[in-house]
Amino acid sequence: MAIMMPASDQAVLARRAEIIAALRAIVPGEGVIDTPAEMRAYESDGLTAYRQPPMVVVLPDTTEQVSLVLKYCAGQNIKVVPRGSGTSLSGGALPLEDGVLLGLGKFKRIREIDFDNRVVVTEPGVTNLAISQAVAHAGFYYAPDPSSQIACSIGGNVAENSGGVHCLKYGMTTNNVLGCEIVLMSGEILRIGGKGCENPGYDLMGVITGSEGLLGVITEVTVRILQKPETARALMVGFAEVEAAGECVARIIGAGIIPGGMEMMDKPAIHAAEAFVHAGYPLDVEALLIIELDGPKIEVDELIARVETIARGCGSVTLQISNSEAERNLFWAGRKAAFPAVGRISPDYLCMDGTIPRGALPKALARIRELGEKYQLGCANVFHAGDGNLHPLILYDANKPGEIERAEAFGADILRACVEFGGVLTGEHGVGIEKRDLMPEMFTEIDLNQQQRLKCAFDAQGLLNPGKVFPTLHRCAELGRMHVHAGKLAFPDIPRF
Amino acid sequence: MDTLKVRDAKDVEEVVRAAIANEQPLEIIGHGSKRGIGHAMATNAVLDLSALNAVTAYEPNELIVTLQAGAPLADVLSLIDAKNQQFAFEPMDTAPLLGTPARGTIGGMIAAGLAGPRRIRAGGARDHLLGAHAVSGFGDSFKTGGKVVKNVTGYDLCKLLAGSWGTLSVMTEVTLKVMPKPEAERTLLLRGLDDAAANKAMTAALGSPFDVSGAAHLPHQALRAKTEGLGDLAGEGEALTALRLEGITASATHRAGSLSELLAPFGTATLIEDAASAALWATIRDVLPFAADGALGAWQVWRIVCPPASGAALGTQLARETGGDVIYDWGGGLIWAALPPKADAHGPAVRARANAVGGHAMLIRAAEDIRRDVDVFHPQAPGIAALSERVRASFDPKTVLNRGRLSRGATA
Repeated sequence: MAIMMPASDQAVLARRAEIIAALRAIVPGEGVIDTPAEMRAYESDGLTAYRQPPMVVVLPDTTEQVSLVLKYCAGQNIKVVPRGSGTSLSGGALPLEDGVLLGLGKFKRIREIDFDNRVVVTEPGVTNLAISQAVAHAGFYYAPDPSSQIACSIGGNVAENSGGVHCLKYGMTTNNVLGCEIVLMSGEILRIGGKGCENPGYDLMGVITGSEGLLGVITEVTVRILQKPETARALMVGFAEVEAAGECVARIIGAGIIPGGMEMMDKPAIHAAEAFVHAGYPLDVEALLIIELDGPKIEVDELIARVETIARGCGSVTLQISNSEAERNLFWAGRKAAFPAVGRISPDYLCMDGTIPRGALPKALARIRELGEKYQLGCANVFHAGDGNLHPLILYDANKPGEIERAEAFGADILRACVEFGGVLTGEHGVGIEKRDLMPEMFTEIDLNQQQRLKCAFDAQGLLNPGKVFPTLHRCAELGRMHVHAGKLAFPDIPRF
Repeated sequence: MDTLKVRDAKDVEEVVRAAIANEQPLEIIGHGSKRGIGHAMATNAVLDLSALNAVTAYEPNELIVTLQAGAPLADVLSLIDAKNQQFAFEPMDTAPLLGTPARGTIGGMIAAGLAGPRRIRAGGARDHLLGAHAVSGFGDSFKTGGKVVKNVTGYDLCKLLAGSWGTLSVMTEVTLKVMPKPEAERTLLLRGLDDAAANKAMTAALGSPFDVSGAAHLPHQALRAKTEGLGDLAGEGEALTALRLEGITASATHRAGSLSELLAPFGTATLIEDAASAALWATIRDVLPFAADGALGAWQVWRIVCPPASGAALGTQLARETGGDVIYDWGGGLIWAALPPKADAHGPAVRARANAVGGHAMLIRAAEDIRRDVDVFHPQAPGIAALSERVRASFDPKTVLNRGRLSRGATA
């Protein structure tokens, strides 16, 4: 494991049997799992290159149990790693050897559907897709749609601020969540927000969303739901050059059109996807755009025509427009299967997740090509082109000595390039352990200290999910210390009135 | 009063550090257009950001604009309007309601986070702030977020800064999302509905697939006096329920037709378009019926946020109980209440009714001596209040930034 995790607390490990007994007193029956065989299912999340069995797994099914478990662990100085469905791609739910893995999988109930206020109140273990399914009969859905939506839990979505193909138009999790019930490491249960459009005071919901399980454990979420658009149609457009595809994306946005989704694939990704799903993708183009417009039919038809004109103006070499749901789904089939498709052509791959300004797309692709030559590894690229979110898939073979290290170094260089081009390290997968040590590429120590001070406001002992997000952990007392600056009212040259 | 007009982020750091060293709290202002909101601050030293007013970068194709915090909102709106773009959350102009001359700065717009009618569809200021540079109460410049829409790198401190009323950090530069202006807007008007029926009509509209971007109700009492911006719409003083549809022309027109059929049980809708529609929504956004220079200018004004479907019941009862007037926006989820002047500003009644439905209320307009005795911002449950205070202290442990603005009784 290339990533250093916090040193294990031997005093805690020595008391494992006692701790398990105490946890069994809180969560009876099968809710506490401590055999190596049964714990194996929890030793990794979606970032499977990293594995670590936890000290013990606890699966509570009430908020009170969550509270008691956390209170007990806080009192005993035991680390806790929260886990939803375990689909994180950044290692956010990677267990700790001396930590309790707190699984929220038993929180599977939707508590309330309120169509008049257009919200759903749900337990955190409910899957993203199950929310949409529960309201589909009334024409509603929950908009953020991460590609793992069949499996990923809404609690995990809140922790990671998950995105998806449609977040260009409909926003990420943070733009679609109104409130939550959260349990702090101390065991304190708090309710934040509710069915109103905004919350009083500081926007705690906003900062909890995307906090990667470091601030608290979510036990209930209130999300807003939307009416499904009347219809959706897609264009599939091929370009002989990546630059032309990038220009097409810029012109669509420049024309004031915000598509429901706008995805790009490069040649290696197109070929892998086509070989896998036979969606009829053109194989002789350098870049393929899938652009989906949704809304009332009259609007979609007109926007399709406008986008077609723009695409042709950018020199498209192939252009198809979906005329049925079957055809639209076929356009998407290859893109949606891009990751497994790449999995077929390479024994292993690393999925990166940087974001760049849209305009830097050709530059970023050229850099990725250069880096691929430097590291002697292949790379297939899929992008959420509308919002500049790149998913380079670095191809490697874990069985070949040195390849995973080269792949990781390649990935780190891609993310550094994203920051250099004005972008960020992660658009939707989270920092977790995967990008933790790259945080200084984007933030200064002062920036990171301010973030860690916030962590102290929620979890002063630093017991909740330590080792994630921040490359260096500081004690809260140290972070709270004020540097004494020159003790005089200096600024003689600042204008006064 | 000592006013320090800073020119760059370095100046801000220097002033904040001196404030820490001298235990001298600072009031942070841009144009000072919202100084009348909140409690009197326990300081007489002012950090004035109005000279920090540059447009750092405007990139229409990237849908972002990066601005120094003191940039005048009016200038920025003209700048992006020239590229046919807008802040989709429709920031409110508080000047008419508060009776102040200046429109304010970008920093003030974010720190107050007062979003307009499109809040229901496009989100609030918090949803459009992508990144910020700020000076904390430690006297250190830090950045958070970035310049791209999709970003989950580190905690999203932007969410905390938006709506923090300058109590966490002094923002020096912000990057905001801009969105294309819709090609056309259409507003359907229903007349003569009582509050309950209007609430139902708005709920039906917002639950429809027609992508409604504004849903407001002006009861007939609120139309008694002439209101600028309403023009002939006030007409015979009948209640007015307005539903806005925006987008490409063919679509907005088509959806207006479909929505009007859906709302047939509530009456026959009339249609206003483009400029007339925009004027109506600006009137609602800025709460012009309660303007400081209008007939109700001396009344105290509350801003109540609640679950949208609870709006009418709350507003009707509150108006009856206090003899006040109300206006509904956000499909009932935002109630503006102008209440006859009273020493407690009817605080107990307002807050009890808001609490009963899981809502909250802010006293946005009242004389300073009233605000001395009434909580301007909604009191929170003890656990949330304690956590919020820890969050505040994590940014500003010595409470040098806007000390006392959010709660009563702070002293210098």
